[in-house]
Amino acid sequence: MRNVKRILILLIVALIVGAASFTRATLNAAVVKVPDPTKVVMIVDRDSNDIAFMDIASKKIVGRTFLGNNVNPHMVMMSPDGRYVVTGGTRANKAYIIDAKTLELVKVIPVDIAPEHLAFSPDSRWYYQGNPEGDSISVIDMLSLTKIKSIPGLVEPLNTVFLPDGSKAYVGNYGAHWVGVIDVRRHELLKKIQVADVPGVAKLDPDKYLGEIKGINIPQITNDGRYLYATDTDLGVVAKIDPREDKVDKIIRVGKEPWRPYMSHDGKYLITPNNGDQTISIVDLRTDKVAATLEAGENMTGVNFAAGKAFVISSTSGFVYVYDMNSLRPAGRMKIGTNIQLETATTDTKDEKLYLADSTENAVVIIDAKTQQFEKIMNVGLYPWGTHIMDSKDNYCH
Amino acid sequence: MVRCRLAAAVAMLLFTASFAAAQNSTVSGRVANAQGGVIANAEATLRALPPPGTPVMPNMPNMPAAMERTATAGADGAFTFTNVAAGDYVLYVDASGFERSSQTITVGNQAQNLMVTLTPLIVPGAEEGAAAAAGVADTQLLLDRIRQLEARITDLESEAVLSEPETRVKRIEVYVDQNNNVHDQPVEGAKQQVTYQRERVYRRQTINEKIEEALAAAEDQAVKIGVDATTVTQGAGRTQGDPEHPSKKAYALASADLFFAAKLAQYTSFFADVVALSGAPPDREIPSLTLLNGYTARLVNQNELNLREAWLRTEFFGQRLGITAGRLDLTNYFDRNAFANDETTQFISDALVNNQMLGLAVNGTGVVADYDPKNAFNFKVGFQQSNPDATSLSDSIYSLAEIGYTATPFSLPEGHYRLWYRNNNGDVDSKHGVGVSLDQKLSPFVGVFGRYGQQQIPGDWDRYWSTGVSFAKAMVFNPLDTWGIGYARMRLASGEREHLTEGYYNFLLTDRLRLSFTLQHVLDRQSDKFGYLLPGIRLQAAF
Repeated sequence: MRNVKRILILLIVALIVGAASFTRATLNAAVVKVPDPTKVVMIVDRDSNDIAFMDIASKKIVGRTFLGNNVNPHMVMMSPDGRYVVTGGTRANKAYIIDAKTLELVKVIPVDIAPEHLAFSPDSRWYYQGNPEGDSISVIDMLSLTKIKSIPGLVEPLNTVFLPDGSKAYVGNYGAHWVGVIDVRRHELLKKIQVADVPGVAKLDPDKYLGEIKGINIPQITNDGRYLYATDTDLGVVAKIDPREDKVDKIIRVGKEPWRPYMSHDGKYLITPNNGDQTISIVDLRTDKVAATLEAGENMTGVNFAAGKAFVISSTSGFVYVYDMNSLRPAGRMKIGTNIQLETATTDTKDEKLYLADSTENAVVIIDAKTQQFEKIMNVGLYPWGTHIMDSKDNYCH
Repeated sequence: MVRCRLAAAVAMLLFTASFAAAQNSTVSGRVANAQGGVIANAEATLRALPPPGTPVMPNMPNMPAAMERTATAGADGAFTFTNVAAGDYVLYVDASGFERSSQTITVGNQAQNLMVTLTPLIVPGAEEGAAAAAGVADTQLLLDRIRQLEARITDLESEAVLSEPETRVKRIEVYVDQNNNVHDQPVEGAKQQVTYQRERVYRRQTINEKIEEALAAAEDQAVKIGVDATTVTQGAGRTQGDPEHPSKKAYALASADLFFAAKLAQYTSFFADVVALSGAPPDREIPSLTLLNGYTARLVNQNELNLREAWLRTEFFGQRLGITAGRLDLTNYFDRNAFANDETTQFISDALVNNQMLGLAVNGTGVVADYDPKNAFNFKVGFQQSNPDATSLSDSIYSLAEIGYTATPFSLPEGHYRLWYRNNNGDVDSKHGVGVSLDQKLSPFVGVFGRYGQQQIPGDWDRYWSTGVSFAKAMVFNPLDTWGIGYARMRLASGEREHLTEGYYNFLLTDRLRLSFTLQHVLDRQSDKFGYLLPGIRLQAAF
């Protein structure tokens, strides 16, 4: 009887081991260039028309996916499940889908005119590609890898943000003063939320208000997902939006021509770089009031947070301005180079290092947030326009 | 106990076997191109979809590698997955030179046989031959080419673009050896040199982008010209004092500044300000200790153009240190209070624009050095000629030094605090002066300011202080309007006194046009006592 029992147990173990080995043997046999997508920095090279993948540990380019001449990719992002890397080819009017492990280009999908910024639903199912010059968002199903719909009715949609539950998405319209609310189940525009009133004196200044509109870049969501904050560049305000009722809760006046809000990782503050007066406004999210307005640089394109500091990128001056987020005071200025143009940066998941695209030097600048020292990794591709790290809290584009 | 375990093991085995027999199935398929041609060696991947309720953002280390199975199609394009458990799957099929095919399938008890059609992957500019290598027939290559051309026409129709390759010149570092051979990497005996080289990129630009770039480049090279024209109309009514003092008078002063700015070299720029004033300010008739119209300080000769400033500025040490040299007004660079330092948009009384103990009213040749490491502290030092009639600079040196600090005290928004010292070796009563200045925001909308200064005169000190409050972005008619109330007091060692109060409201009508209403009251006690109330209107155009 005891022998029978042993035989049975051995049989079960053999079955389990056999099944496991069978599964292992039939795993994807393609060449895996990036075994762990969290360990690479993705670099979107606008003018060499490729996505480069830099290993974070070795700082070497481990792979590169060429998209085609004159594609001019704008923003790169990895799907939350780590399976795909996607980008919009601004001058090709197409979306490009790359296998995140093999780095092979697996699908090219025609979208609308001038695709730039994009977003994924939290479950990785929907890829929303914004087309600012087509005034639409292309909806791509990441299961079938097909474009299933185009959402019309937007006005220069620049950035999209999904709620954490994936039920709705909020679109910043740079060509208007309202935020679009998208029903993600039907992929339809549900509502328009006007962020603030245009001042009465606007009619005295037709050159400014009728010549060119600089509206809403992005509605940025709080860490708890409870509220969204959207800047309006022309109106110089930040609007706090309650997504439960889709209404504006509060309007906070900040500096001149705020570009967009950037949330600190601890959720206490947001920063708006104000290119109109070369300042930053630090908004306390507990009180929804401006806690400090500090001097900054020209043509600011991004803000990253790391090591208790905020790093503000001044694109054309070649400087990164640093601020202590505890004292809310300036903490120095880093000169990255002379006659260079800086673009945007991502922060690693440990909040220790920044990876800043230095377009005119074809380089990525790695900044140690604690010591404020940096090194340049050259020849990452032509005109690196942005960087992306999976699960980073500072993944953004211009 | 042993029997129980045995029974459990047998039950598990039977359950597993029966489950496999009942639920597992086969998924097979055949891969072909649009024309039906077989595609060999395609890679098919079957990925199980997570059951409902699975967390939507699984952590990366647990990604579904174990939930995938892959099979390679044979020469006939066929592939098979056996022993597939019932459930929902995504079937991907990849082949070199083709787009990935992706479809969701539901596996039940029945075997499934699928037909998978792949579409060629067109990558303009990529190396040719991928499709040919995959064994695609010539006809299909031709069809693919037609499709590619159709796609290009669509692109061109959708937007007018300049598709020719763009070139740009870049500064590069190379290594040059003794034979003038250039190397990209360091080699023995070669020296590192900087040179410039053209780079070609494949970037499409819209015509608008191209025009904007050209205009921006032209503007960068040009001399920038700015104009600031202001008209200040004030009335004056005597409130106290001898009837000999004028009363119920109207005054007007028009000022026009022409600014010229140009970039000369790396971090080096030129600036000039030519000013002309015309009119009669109240300061000609009302003998107050301080100027009631701050513009009067600029009035040198009526209806004449005067070169007010002309200087060069250059920056060193990572642009932390700036040096400005030329004809300038040194007091412009010191005590720059955020709420009370600009007669064009804030208070118009000079007592609320400048610290009266700075003690300089004429522009002259000078130098200013400002060191700003952008870490909350900053330092300034400078000197200028204080007497335009002096025969040598050394006989008329007016010098200033200042330490500034940006703070956020008591959880308040930012404030700026300054301490300055001045010295004048010219033929003046006061050789030394010292002062402090602060501007502190109490909230995002309300800020307070304060100044104190004293200057030494033989045997005593003249003293001055001012304070006030400024409002912006709240309690205003239009969002960008500002208003403020200020008070300044002078007490000279000679016994003369002055109390000055002012309120202003500044309408920002457009970015280039402002309209302000001012109301001042000044009370002086000199040889006699007099007081005036001065309402005023200031219209400023700046562009």
